[in-house]
Amino acid sequence: MKKTTFLLAVLCFAVMSCTKDKTNYEAEIDTVVTEHSEFKEVLAINSNGHKISIEALNGTFYMGYNEIRLKITNVQTKEKVNASTVTFLPIMTNAGGNNTSCPHSYDLAYKSDDNYFLGYSVFTSESNTNESWKLYISYTVADQTFAVKQTISVQEQSNKNLNITTFTGNDNEQYFIALISPQKPNVAENELIAGIYKFNKPTNPPVGAFPDPSQFSYTEVSGYTLLLDPRMPEPSMGNHSSPNNKNLTQQSDGLYHGVVNYTMTGNWTLNLIMLNENGQTLKGTKVPGDFTPGVEGAKSELYIDILF
Amino acid sequence: MKKLSVIFLVLFLGMNANAQDAEIPRDTSKHLEEVKIIGIAKRKIETEMKMAVSVDEFLASSENISFIKRGAYAWEPLLNNMSSERSTLTIDGMHIFGACTDKMDPITSYVESNNLSTIDIKSGQEGSLHGATVGGSIDLKRKSTPFGLEKKFSGAYQTGFEFNNKQFYNLANASYAGDKFVADGSISFRKAGNYHDGNQNEIKHSQYNKFNTSLGLAYKISPLSSVRVDAIFDQAKDVGYPALPMDLWLSRAIITSASYKQLFEAGLVRIWDTKLYFNAIEHYMDDTTRPENLVHMDMPGWSTTYGLISKINLQEDRYSSEIQLNVYENISIAEMRMYPQDRSKRTMFAYSWPWVTTRFTGLSMNNSWEISDKSQLNFGGSLGLNYNYSKYVEFNRIFYPEAPQKNNRLLPGLHASYELNIDQFDFSIGTGYGHRAPSVSEAYGYYIYNSFDRYDYIGNPDLKNEISYEANASAGFKNEKMSIEAKANYFHIQNYIIGRILSLGSPMNYQSVGVKGYTSLDHAKLFNLTINTNYDILQHLHWKGVLNYARATDDKDGNLPFIRPLSYQTSLHFMHKGFSVQTSMNGDFKQDNYSPEYGEDQTPAYMIWNISGDYTFNIKNVKTALQVGAENIFNEYYSTYADWGNIPRMGRNIFTSLKFNF
Repeated sequence: MKKTTFLLAVLCFAVMSCTKDKTNYEAEIDTVVTEHSEFKEVLAINSNGHKISIEALNGTFYMGYNEIRLKITNVQTKEKVNASTVTFLPIMTNAGGNNTSCPHSYDLAYKSDDNYFLGYSVFTSESNTNESWKLYISYTVADQTFAVKQTISVQEQSNKNLNITTFTGNDNEQYFIALISPQKPNVAENELIAGIYKFNKPTNPPVGAFPDPSQFSYTEVSGYTLLLDPRMPEPSMGNHSSPNNKNLTQQSDGLYHGVVNYTMTGNWTLNLIMLNENGQTLKGTKVPGDFTPGVEGAKSELYIDILF
Repeated sequence: MKKLSVIFLVLFLGMNANAQDAEIPRDTSKHLEEVKIIGIAKRKIETEMKMAVSVDEFLASSENISFIKRGAYAWEPLLNNMSSERSTLTIDGMHIFGACTDKMDPITSYVESNNLSTIDIKSGQEGSLHGATVGGSIDLKRKSTPFGLEKKFSGAYQTGFEFNNKQFYNLANASYAGDKFVADGSISFRKAGNYHDGNQNEIKHSQYNKFNTSLGLAYKISPLSSVRVDAIFDQAKDVGYPALPMDLWLSRAIITSASYKQLFEAGLVRIWDTKLYFNAIEHYMDDTTRPENLVHMDMPGWSTTYGLISKINLQEDRYSSEIQLNVYENISIAEMRMYPQDRSKRTMFAYSWPWVTTRFTGLSMNNSWEISDKSQLNFGGSLGLNYNYSKYVEFNRIFYPEAPQKNNRLLPGLHASYELNIDQFDFSIGTGYGHRAPSVSEAYGYYIYNSFDRYDYIGNPDLKNEISYEANASAGFKNEKMSIEAKANYFHIQNYIIGRILSLGSPMNYQSVGVKGYTSLDHAKLFNLTINTNYDILQHLHWKGVLNYARATDDKDGNLPFIRPLSYQTSLHFMHKGFSVQTSMNGDFKQDNYSPEYGEDQTPAYMIWNISGDYTFNIKNVKTALQVGAENIFNEYYSTYADWGNIPRMGRNIFTSLKFNF
């Protein structure tokens, strides 16, 4: 019985195979969005008999948010070195010799379970001929403080789902919003995670040896809210949106969590309005909700484009 | 399921025991011929007006059927004023599902009049033999020549031209009927241009091209058993849908089956007929023919079904029965991909049918018991198990986050009717109860654009079964000169599925104005009344008239959409020797009970007058018929209540046809 059906089916497929191929949905999403899940070594510095190794996703520093894992080992014995007070400071120097930094965690936190120091860096530009990034790292072993520096290469982030935006708020402060998750969204309600950072303007002139960390200080803002309105901006999509989205609010990890519902694959704009802890708008405008086929969708003053 | 079979088996064993001492059955079928145990009115595939009709035109002449028309091709048949999801549409009992989310390809578009012998239409639960239904069943019966006819070879060729849309068609079929071997074959081509409405305006994008061929081979393996294989291949290309924003580039269907039939000379079981089938449909739309579209969307669809039908016919004295097992599995896939005018860039991708599997297993039975020569009781029922699986359920979860990936439904059905004949009067009364599962679009559809109300439709996987409570009655009078019959049915349908505006959705399709989700109304009520009369004025002059009335309301007594207004057909037929002339009039009254809520506007009344004449003569052994006629003689400009976008229907159409039968 099953055999007959099978034979019949085979016969029929031989007679008529489909004229157009069906879309391989999984494969197609994979080609648009590559997901990285493995931490690999980006750089290793040998100094003072210590090997300082930094790992990031896919062994690459990308523009945008990067989780950083730092390990210090003894070069000879290859054993773990008991280090403390590990600091991390990325500095970008442009052609004019000006130095800036980017949102980062200056003091790295030790994770005893995994035996590394954890931090992040939100690179705001890619390395090129005019802009070069250098890491300044210091650590203490047996009451002796060591400092190392190393030029690094920051690559383009091809995954638009990890885009960042930099802007000045109505309070005249400089802000950064970096998308952290999902790396690879689905046609579904996706948990959307973003980091919101603020540059702390230095109040005093630099002191001591370069770099003075007080000149390059950033913090995660707290108690803010990101109002979310995702839309498909292309004219053909007529300002299409989706139901069941949730605004981003801060959770215990310091990051901002919300829900974005993508109804289909394609180009989406996350239209945002950033409110401070008192509910005042610091940046962003409300976008019209009308269905306007043939017209490019209006974007908020504050937005991030994604594609999957 | 198994339990049920056991119950049925026990039931029949009981009957069989009674039958042991019964005398030899009165009619022993010795030849393999089509044996009808439960009588169904059979009709030839031609209307009174036209001898060369399309399947759609033929169905349109049936009083139970009305149509939603999106152009000149592939009309969606509505049985008892209910949309096609509520009826089972089958070919020889085989389930086939269209591959177009916009219902541009009802099953009737994949056959041709010259490979069909009849169409069985059953109203309500009486039609549950082929599967769970609410509205009834439409079964297209293929030609199947009996074994051992005196005339071994027979065939027909038909050609014709219709002037309005320059339709030219050629239909040919032939059969061989040997004692052991039978073959039926057919081939047909139709090509039509754009038609013109009553104001002589050309209706752009109303052309079509259709090719259809079929082959059936049967072999008698013993005096009482035979095997048969059948195949239909159908291809439509460049079909315009003036009421839609896109056309059809190509649709293809292959419909195949292999069956085994065993007859029994004595005993309760008379026929056992088992069939395995497979069919596949592909359907590709094309909107690049419409310059007004700033974006292009590819909407390919595929539908593949395989299944099994096994049926036994029982007869004992005054009792007869059909028991049928239906098993099928269908997978429906439809994609949406949008491009800006620069086709190398893509804008979006989504599934409008996210690889939806439907698996149905059901057992149905129809019984008929002649209580006396004057009265008969018909009763039966069905029990089906419907399973759905959505592979990419994430699309369904956008609007229904809790949507399950799998869904099982139990679909029971019951019906009974009593027929009484007193002298020249016939009466019948019947009742029915049945469930149906939501269709693939109703449960799993995603952003399916409906150009009638211009909404995007979203399916809901958690819809409840639609439950129908039905009552029907008829009364008729007949003598030598005239007959009159009135038929009425009433459906109370719980959880009636219909699209309602979703406030949270955002539209997507280019012409769309909003998003509707399929939801269940608490209930809906439908009433249909038909009056049929025949009168033989003279020996060669016959008059016929049909009047249809329907009324349907939702749970708030608002009107339901697509309900035909009061309508009539009347015809006069004169024949003398080989010559015959017929004229007919049909029309709808003004649509009073329309439904603005569901996107309808009022359709005015219209009346169409048609006339045709034909002459039949013999050239040697070849029976030849020549026909000339005109439809819509007064060139009335009109559209009906069910024409999408109120596109006007065809104006005056002169048609000619020549047919050879040998």
